[in-house]
Amino acid sequence: MSDLIEEPFFKGSTGRNTRGVLRLTILCLIAAAAVASRLFSVIRFESIIHEFDPWFNFRATKYLVQHGFYDFWDWFDDRTWHPLGRVTGGTLYPGLMVTSGVIYHALRALTIPVDIRNICVLLAPGFSGLTAYATYLFTNEMTTSPSAGLLAAAFMGIAPGYISRSVAGSYDNEAIAIFLLVFTFFLWIKALKVGSAFWGALCALFYGYMVSAWGGYVFITNLIPLHVFVLVCMGRFSPRVYVAYCTWFAIGTLASMQIPFVGFLPIRSSEHMSALGIFGLLQLVGFVDFIRAGVPSRQFKTLVTGFAVGVFAIALAALVLLTVTGVIAPWTGRFYSLWDTGYAKIHIPIIASVSEHQPTAWPAYFFDLNMLIWLFPAGVYLCFLKLNDEQVFIVVYSILASYFSGVMVRLMLTLTPIVCVSAAMALSYVLDTYLTIKSPAEPTETQVAEAANVSSSKKAGKQEALRSMREPLVGVYSTFSKTSVVSAMTAYLLIFVLHCTWVTSNAYSSPSVVLASRMPDGSQHIIDDYREAYQWLRQNTPEDAKIMSWWDYGYQIGGMADRPTLVDNNTWNNTHIATVGKAMSSREEVSYPIMRQHEVDYVLVVFGGLLGYSGDDINKFLWMVRIAEGIWPDEVKERDFFTDRGEYRVDDGATETMKNSLMYKMSYYNYNSLFPAGQAQDRVRGVKLPDVGPTLNCVEEAFTSENWIIRIYKVKDLDNVGRDHASAASFDRGNKKKKTTKKRGPKVLRVE
Amino acid sequence: MAPKRNAREPTPSSVATTQSSTTAAGSVPIPSKASYKSSSNQSPQQIALGIWQNYLDTTPQRTKLIDVFMAFLVVVGGLQFLYCVIAGNYPFNAFLSGFSATVGQFVLTASLRIQTNAENKADFGEVSPERAFADYVFGSLILHFFCVNFIN
Amino acid sequence: MRWLLSFLLLGLLSVVHAVSSSGNKLLVVLEELADKAKYSKYLADLESRGFKTTIESPKAEKLALFELGERAYEHLLLLPAQSKGLGPNLTPKLLLDFINAGGNILLTLDSAHPTPSGLVSLLLELDIHLPTDRNALVVDHFNFDKLSAAEKHDVVLVPRPDALRPDVKNFFKGDGKGGEVIAFPRGVGQTLGNTSPLLTPILRAPRTAYSYNPKDDVEGVEDPFAVGTQLSLITTMQARNSARFTVIGAAEMLEDAWFDAKVKRSVGMGGVGSDAKEVKTANQAFVKEVTGWTFNEIGVLKVGKIEHHLNEGGAKSNITNPKIYRVKNDVTYNIELSEYSWDHWEPFTPPAGDVVQLEFSMLSPFHRLPLKVATTTKNSTIYTASFKLPDQHGIFNFKVNYKRPFFSNVEEKNTVTVRHFAHDEWPRSWVISGAWPWISGIAVTVTGWVAFVALWLWSKPVPLKLSTSGKKI
Repeated sequence: MSDLIEEPFFKGSTGRNTRGVLRLTILCLIAAAAVASRLFSVIRFESIIHEFDPWFNFRATKYLVQHGFYDFWDWFDDRTWHPLGRVTGGTLYPGLMVTSGVIYHALRALTIPVDIRNICVLLAPGFSGLTAYATYLFTNEMTTSPSAGLLAAAFMGIAPGYISRSVAGSYDNEAIAIFLLVFTFFLWIKALKVGSAFWGALCALFYGYMVSAWGGYVFITNLIPLHVFVLVCMGRFSPRVYVAYCTWFAIGTLASMQIPFVGFLPIRSSEHMSALGIFGLLQLVGFVDFIRAGVPSRQFKTLVTGFAVGVFAIALAALVLLTVTGVIAPWTGRFYSLWDTGYAKIHIPIIASVSEHQPTAWPAYFFDLNMLIWLFPAGVYLCFLKLNDEQVFIVVYSILASYFSGVMVRLMLTLTPIVCVSAAMALSYVLDTYLTIKSPAEPTETQVAEAANVSSSKKAGKQEALRSMREPLVGVYSTFSKTSVVSAMTAYLLIFVLHCTWVTSNAYSSPSVVLASRMPDGSQHIIDDYREAYQWLRQNTPEDAKIMSWWDYGYQIGGMADRPTLVDNNTWNNTHIATVGKAMSSREEVSYPIMRQHEVDYVLVVFGGLLGYSGDDINKFLWMVRIAEGIWPDEVKERDFFTDRGEYRVDDGATETMKNSLMYKMSYYNYNSLFPAGQAQDRVRGVKLPDVGPTLNCVEEAFTSENWIIRIYKVKDLDNVGRDHASAASFDRGNKKKKTTKKRGPKVLRVE
Repeated sequence: MAPKRNAREPTPSSVATTQSSTTAAGSVPIPSKASYKSSSNQSPQQIALGIWQNYLDTTPQRTKLIDVFMAFLVVVGGLQFLYCVIAGNYPFNAFLSGFSATVGQFVLTASLRIQTNAENKADFGEVSPERAFADYVFGSLILHFFCVNFIN
Repeated sequence: MRWLLSFLLLGLLSVVHAVSSSGNKLLVVLEELADKAKYSKYLADLESRGFKTTIESPKAEKLALFELGERAYEHLLLLPAQSKGLGPNLTPKLLLDFINAGGNILLTLDSAHPTPSGLVSLLLELDIHLPTDRNALVVDHFNFDKLSAAEKHDVVLVPRPDALRPDVKNFFKGDGKGGEVIAFPRGVGQTLGNTSPLLTPILRAPRTAYSYNPKDDVEGVEDPFAVGTQLSLITTMQARNSARFTVIGAAEMLEDAWFDAKVKRSVGMGGVGSDAKEVKTANQAFVKEVTGWTFNEIGVLKVGKIEHHLNEGGAKSNITNPKIYRVKNDVTYNIELSEYSWDHWEPFTPPAGDVVQLEFSMLSPFHRLPLKVATTTKNSTIYTASFKLPDQHGIFNFKVNYKRPFFSNVEEKNTVTVRHFAHDEWPRSWVISGAWPWISGIAVTVTGWVAFVALWLWSKPVPLKLSTSGKKI
């Protein structure tokens, strides 16, 4: 078909060469465009690591580059999760760091000294170029139209759904994982089509790489078995499936077990059981197939099939039994929340509190994928029309990914590749149809009749069916319809490009460490409070001063301020996070012993009231309360933070619990002094604050950034002469202690 | 198992049926049962022998070699599994890598067998036996590397 | 180096004079310089012990506890003032800052002069309460001095105090023979709050004593401020930074007159002391001990070097004080402790029934071990403990937290990281006999595979050969 389509333009062997060169050039241009559109943030701001998680990855990479691979592997990080520490080497996906470490050393070997920071910043854009290429290969396996591959690559290059996680500076696991995901799928399809152990082994190797890079590898682990299962159920079992799957599974599982963090999970946890089950099923089916070839007896065959089904049922029962008895780890909470979006909110607030675990809002689809989202079903429909093994894969993938992307915002990322691929297939089909079909000069009666016959016999391809459905002269063949459709499509494509560029530059290129705002005259004003505060910590506190903050800022404090933190974005220990939540949401007298016990030196809070920065700690406060309530339901109660009318207030009407909580006090301490008396205003929540600000006894203000976004408090030591902090502070303010002249009740005697 | 089920079948079918074949069987239940029984004594052996003979006749020598190797792997794997059941799986990684090395090898060898089988030529247009063997060596080497690495 | 230096310093110090462990600059606040004569013996005692005394009036302009933000004196002696206030240079806040900066204060009260309100509020901050009546004094009808207070019964005679608890060292027992008598003339008793662990009474009133205001003309006291042993005559507060604050209820104790005076005790409860003779008071020796304690001459503990090192299998590691250990390591911890006794450092031994303990803790102690004496040098004792680290990684502290009444606080925290097993520290699988079957499984599989591959490659030409040979034949 490809030849047929391309013939009009390029003929013969020279044509093939030209086409090759053209394709290469186009791919290079697409890669260049993909990289370029991700550089907005570097140009706007500077070459800086973004957001939260990337800071940890960056710090880990620096450690890797500094100390070498083995030290990295055995890295025990004593500067996070104080005082528990973190076995970092064994609890992270090392793929990303190792990749940039390898690039770093390779460049140095080539005597190109590049700062490791720049490698980290530019890694994601670089890999997005590769992703575009992988998408091209993947699409080419799916369809015969060569333009589809190029279109898919272009879509993948600039689709905002993918850009959101791969702008320059967004140094996260997803940066390389999406490339690996697409490439692994390509290799899988290749292995399936060819039926070769070589491709299967390659697929397994890249699967191993993927496992080392991102926790989302589970998606592959389940998608490929599901694909195989669907194929088997459709009666499409063939030795090729057996070869490809078994090679992939045998080697891939072993490869994934090499990663310390994954370890025995592939045979222990339920998420991996489907792959194992399908492996067993394939053995059975393969065996049955083999026997059937030997013994062509009908009864025997049915019996054996029954036998196979029975074994499968028994295996399933065994799996359930093992899960119940606890040999195989049951489904994790994150997994449950995939099925029931309300589950996390009730049972595991810590998962629900992460913004990227929220269900996706509908506009987000259009925002992230634009026109692709309506081309996507068309592409899937085309796959149904021509259902081969690989098209089944597209169908399965798109169904699964659509569902998951609706459940969690971050899983939009896994949907994007398949949307790009199928949209490209649909679009290229349309374009192929309208651009390259020659209008037959004289469509004779016989031709039309023939076409009608063919369509009625349902054996015709889609193209012929289309032809038959339309009146030849007024339909597809007319120049008018061709030009109108083609120009409409071109317009859509152009709008798509515009939309992508707009979204990228406006929504996804902010580092979130540095905030930008517009001055009244339209010029850009940079708000750099975060770095100001972290720099203050770095320069004014001892090397081992422990900083307590909500976990969102843990990685940044570790990365930018280089100070130990109590909790960070690796939310593995719910209890520890709840401890911090309790300290933040309790009265000072309750919080102080907790902070003493954890040797906290400084407390950091984020306060947006002055600037109107809505992502501050008071707005996140309810999550702290909820998470703390999960562990200490008797001491912290969410209800106490709401007024009688169920409102969450910070002004005069706030509840006593709210007003006495450490977080509230630290946020609004001294805030009154900024305003004329009685006019203190919180610009995020848009309320007037009480006239008298809170008093703080057991912590003292150490630092407040320029725009009051970051406030740092120093935890006081125990009073030197044994008073409690409240009376010590009151003495310092010059209040005389009231003499207890009249003793109430019996005298308290001192016994020794 | 096949004869047994057949033997049970006639009883209900003899009650009411219009199908000619079953009526014939149902009309003379007792002798038929006996005949099935007698045949069941013979047929498994016969079938097995037939299959064996068929196998010896039609299978190329190389495929036989593969089969021998696969049988060997099954024995090794079975022994390991048995040992695990009896003696426990204390160094779990060792058990896993040992057992999965055998299983993986078995699967890879099965793949090789399928690929080199002349009957499956249609399915593997692009895979010549030589290529299949090269793939096989490649896959096995990776497998061995991982296993040895994993057992530490 | 440190050793040498400390020896040198020690040598120098002993040459100069016996002196407090924390310095010798002493400020004596005395309102009327004429009164100096009253305390001549006491002050001479101090000077003979090496203190450089500066005597200032509280009203003096140049009186300042701090100079350029630093403490100007190590010790402060407040003798009773006539006036009601102490002036702007000795506000409670400044005095508290002086304590927080590590300065020691010896405060004397006198029932003849009402205590300045500033001092009252300072004492209140420390949870030491004075009688509400300004002129209240301690009276005992059973333990008074017949010679000087036959009528008023306001010179209370007290024996040397016993140890606070059996396991607390008693610095104030004199030569320990007993029979010595301390005169406590016209003093102000204090009561101590119940919550502060920093307060310790040195001298408590006898069981029959009570606080009485002579201005009240009532015959019987209805509701005395405090009675019996609840009434503390000499109170100490040792702050968390080991700064010492002592209140002596009766300033007259320090006067020359009572150093030399002879007293004869009254008949006590149950006829005790009916055969009492005239004896010389033990005030001079006792006050020396109280002052010496307050001004860091006794009861001061010093931590020398702290060492911890790996002690795997009895072989001592050469690296001392590493930052990081591994779980289940065997480690040894050493701490060197000395005690200051008037003019020299001597090896410290805890009182009988008490031990110095080592904690190995993260959030809560994982180990709490008694430290044993390893060696004793001329000036110090080296305590040691060896143990196996817990099977828990994290950031741990070696903590010696030795806080006892009358000893200065020892709180030493050495933070170490305890890491997990590195990947190459686990036993290799061939060491574990249980893994042999599976190792051999792999070996068999691999050799089988190699043999198979060899056979395969070898079998390739076989059919060819056969066919060619067949053709040949």
